[in-house]
Amino acid sequence: MTARATSLETGRSRAPRTARVQRLADRYLLLVYTGLAVIYLLLPVAIMILFSFNDPAGKSNFVWQGFTLKYWLHPLAVNGLPEAVGLSLILAFLSTLAATALGTLIALALVRYEFRWRSATNSLIFLPMATPEIVLGASLLTMFVSIGAAPFFPLWFGTILIAHIMFNISFVVVTVRARLAGFPRHLEEAAMDLFANEWTTFWKVTFPLILPGIIAAGLLAFSLSIDDFVITNFTAGKTQTFPMFIYAKARIGIPVQVNVIGTIIFLVAVGAVALTTLAQRRSRST
Amino acid sequence: MSDKKKIPAGPVVSRRQVLLGGTMAGFAAFLAACGTGGTGATSEPSASEGGSVEPSATAAAGATPSAEVNWANWTYYMDVDPNDPTKFPTLEKFTDEFGTKVNYSEVIEGNDEFFGTIKPQLEAGQDTGWDIVTLTDWMAARLIRLGWVEQFNVDNMANFVANIKETYKGTDWDGEMQYHAPWQSGMTGLGYDVDTTGELTSLAAFFTPDPRWKGKTEYLTEMRDTIGLTMLSLGLDPAQPTIDACDKAVAKLEEAQAAGIVRDVKGNSYAEDLKSGDAVLAMAWSGDMVQALVDKPSLRFRIADEGGMLWTDNSLIPKGAAHKGTAEMLLDFFYIPENAAAVEAYVNYICPVDGAAEAMIAIDPEIAKNPLIFPPEDILARLHIFGGLSEADEAYFNEQFAKILGVG
Amino acid sequence: MGTLLKRHRWIAPLALLAPGILWLLVFYVWPAFQMFIASFWSGSLETGFTFSLSNYTNYTEAIDQFSEQYLRSIVYAGTATVLTFLIAYPLAYTIAFKGGRYKNLLLFLVVAPFFTSFLLRTISWKIILGDGGPFLGLFKDLGVLPEDFRLLATPIAVISGITYNFLPFMTLPVYVALEKVDIRLVEAARDLYAGPWRPGGAIVGALLGGVLAGVLGVVFAWSWPLMAAAGALAGGLIGWLLVSESFVRVTFPLSLPGVFAGSLLTFIPAIGDYVNAEFLGNPETRMIGNVIQNKFLTQNDYPTASALSFTLMAGILVVVAIYARILGTEELSTGGRV
Repeated sequence: MTARATSLETGRSRAPRTARVQRLADRYLLLVYTGLAVIYLLLPVAIMILFSFNDPAGKSNFVWQGFTLKYWLHPLAVNGLPEAVGLSLILAFLSTLAATALGTLIALALVRYEFRWRSATNSLIFLPMATPEIVLGASLLTMFVSIGAAPFFPLWFGTILIAHIMFNISFVVVTVRARLAGFPRHLEEAAMDLFANEWTTFWKVTFPLILPGIIAAGLLAFSLSIDDFVITNFTAGKTQTFPMFIYAKARIGIPVQVNVIGTIIFLVAVGAVALTTLAQRRSRST
Repeated sequence: MSDKKKIPAGPVVSRRQVLLGGTMAGFAAFLAACGTGGTGATSEPSASEGGSVEPSATAAAGATPSAEVNWANWTYYMDVDPNDPTKFPTLEKFTDEFGTKVNYSEVIEGNDEFFGTIKPQLEAGQDTGWDIVTLTDWMAARLIRLGWVEQFNVDNMANFVANIKETYKGTDWDGEMQYHAPWQSGMTGLGYDVDTTGELTSLAAFFTPDPRWKGKTEYLTEMRDTIGLTMLSLGLDPAQPTIDACDKAVAKLEEAQAAGIVRDVKGNSYAEDLKSGDAVLAMAWSGDMVQALVDKPSLRFRIADEGGMLWTDNSLIPKGAAHKGTAEMLLDFFYIPENAAAVEAYVNYICPVDGAAEAMIAIDPEIAKNPLIFPPEDILARLHIFGGLSEADEAYFNEQFAKILGVG
Repeated sequence: MGTLLKRHRWIAPLALLAPGILWLLVFYVWPAFQMFIASFWSGSLETGFTFSLSNYTNYTEAIDQFSEQYLRSIVYAGTATVLTFLIAYPLAYTIAFKGGRYKNLLLFLVVAPFFTSFLLRTISWKIILGDGGPFLGLFKDLGVLPEDFRLLATPIAVISGITYNFLPFMTLPVYVALEKVDIRLVEAARDLYAGPWRPGGAIVGALLGGVLAGVLGVVFAWSWPLMAAAGALAGGLIGWLLVSESFVRVTFPLSLPGVFAGSLLTFIPAIGDYVNAEFLGNPETRMIGNVIQNKFLTQNDYPTASALSFTLMAGILVVVAIYARILGTEELSTGGRV
């Protein structure tokens, strides 16, 4: 292959002026575009972080009025906020555990085995991701109401948990499956030839190798759960999660502390991803 | 009856613990709650807690307050400590005096939504978990009509009986004040930016495509306020809301929307838009405007010549409440003028307590003079209360109004 | 146990699948069925609900009454899907082919907004798009825009919000599909189609440009035939200059499964969105999601709300079935990578 600094898809010969434009375009246009796209993607995040330092005179946080750190010093000093955040964290944690376990098992089954209901399973995994959240939430609400008895009714923390596990499973399956795809089966076979039964092989060979995928899936499930509003709104009853708290406050004025908490969650998530990437890179280089 | 001595186990405690659980303690409580079969509706009806369901048979004044009491209210409706927004000074004063912990939750964001959360238990005759709920007139009327509200034992509520303003008595849904204690009232009128619109005195402004406010006008999502004001502008009486009046009002609103006058129909967030200039005219509530005027001095609030709406959020004790007696004491506490004034200094709506105006002079003379918080008689005379609706009529009004909201 | 598993080969996959699939069956499939039942109820929350097949009128009435919102939802979701495609595709392409060392970082940046609350992001857009905000305020000061121009409380703001929220859902499947493309095919195509004439790019560019400009013309009430012609010309020129033949003939077709997956994951959920319409729009931009939310949570009108919901559900099932037929079901649960 001849060394070529430009993209893969330039033609070989053409009229000089157009060629120059095309070459410049090939080299720089996409990069510039990507830069702009990244700015577009991160702009609302930047605004959210910026306004966590705002010092509004009234109840609303829409106009920049001055810089202050005081909301960072007392991030939970709003009635109902600590409870809502705590509830969201517990929900996210529990639903991530359950969904990651259930989803990983499904992913393993789909990758390793041939079985008759494969198409149906694939479709069933895909459908919750494609269904509008309002339909997911509303249908669960209808079911809970028509059962009309505990533990499904009245709506409480448990019904939210059920909903979160449900929608997280699909995302876990897709993420883990993507990682399982390039999985070196021969390692497993070697292990089994050597000494191990299926169980040992799984824990000592398979599991460590797919762990990054499982962690990625877990992170995704955690973010989806902590951020979910629509489905939670339908299945929460009287309890209030962090997104529901924001929605309720949005009518009058979102306290600055909400931006602070949002920024903290964002930074923690970024940190978690950075850590796992670093860990992966280190383990790969050993 | 010693229900006030007992600390009810079961639903109330476990639910509160779940809500407060940001820690492993909360998680453990959740596990415990799982074991007892969930929150809210449990298998044993709360009547087993010692007769808290019986209406006026409970003890006279001087009964022992319970260890805690649960109050569901709207946001920004209780005075907060300016240095620590999680503390409510007047509630703490109550706790200091009576020893009862007040679990105050600002979870109500809409009458219908909240009703949806308590309806199942009330239907089943169970404790909702709330001892006090604060709901708007029409929802309070509905609950009372359905028989889901405890009757007050007025022996417990001397201050309430003495200090409730006369204007609140005589409603057709609880004229004797036996089921509801007004918490805050508010006026609905014209909110506008005088620099852009000039002085406005008539409701006709809402329906005129004047270039100064065309496309920058906002209506309220509260059906009774928007339709009420529209009826007033048509010369109809909101105290007699007929189907015909509804049709006329909705037609006029639709016309205004089609003419491009209306930017949006929203709840309290209209105040945002008035402050930022996205809107210059809105159907506004007096309490919001008190604060908005401070943030943006060119804003004005006025009751139009045709009149304005008066609405009230009322505290009720749901049937089956576990701490009825203490709830009555708590409600009565806020009918002491100093306490009512303390709340008013923060909330800025209209106080239903006689004597609060005088008490306010000691706290903040500026507020005592503010006509939006203590309106003079001539303004009060121009205010109308939306009439009661039957269930069928209410459904009709809501359905028609949904067209204005874009979801009908 | 090993021999047990070997002899009954169906036990292992069943054991693995059972818990998760059971959960989905009970809490996704069964509720959908329940909603179907509820759509045949009549009555109210106060008086109780009764089932009757004659209540199929719930469907006919609901669709009749809310046809405006249904149509609007489809148009908004469709426009948002096209926009996400246009924004996401070049992004995914760059990451896949030019990403090199920075691939993971770029992918992370694409997904990063997800780590903030969806509501906070939408409210941030409200701040950005405010009438006197940083964006519009600047243009108004420069005199480019009239004083009473606004983006909030218009369809544009709502569609922009939806587009933004669903961008990762389009970017990731497209990226995965592009990554799978065999470089050697592309290079062969490059050799084959070398030359200054890039009709492929020109045609595609012209079509896209024309359609987009025409739509803009309709939205802003400018003359749409003129806009479409101008757009076609501009698009064609840009396409000819920038888009290589090998891309049009080889790369793009190979990435189609990802494009389809991304479109499905964007279009269908977008139809049911209501938060964007609520925060960024006004009564004239309300979508079917707002209606369903209002019916369920405010009016407690479960029968109508269920009928509306289930209609959406049925639409999804049809679309997914078509997709599965064309591309097979393997793609569905792999995010594009088999």
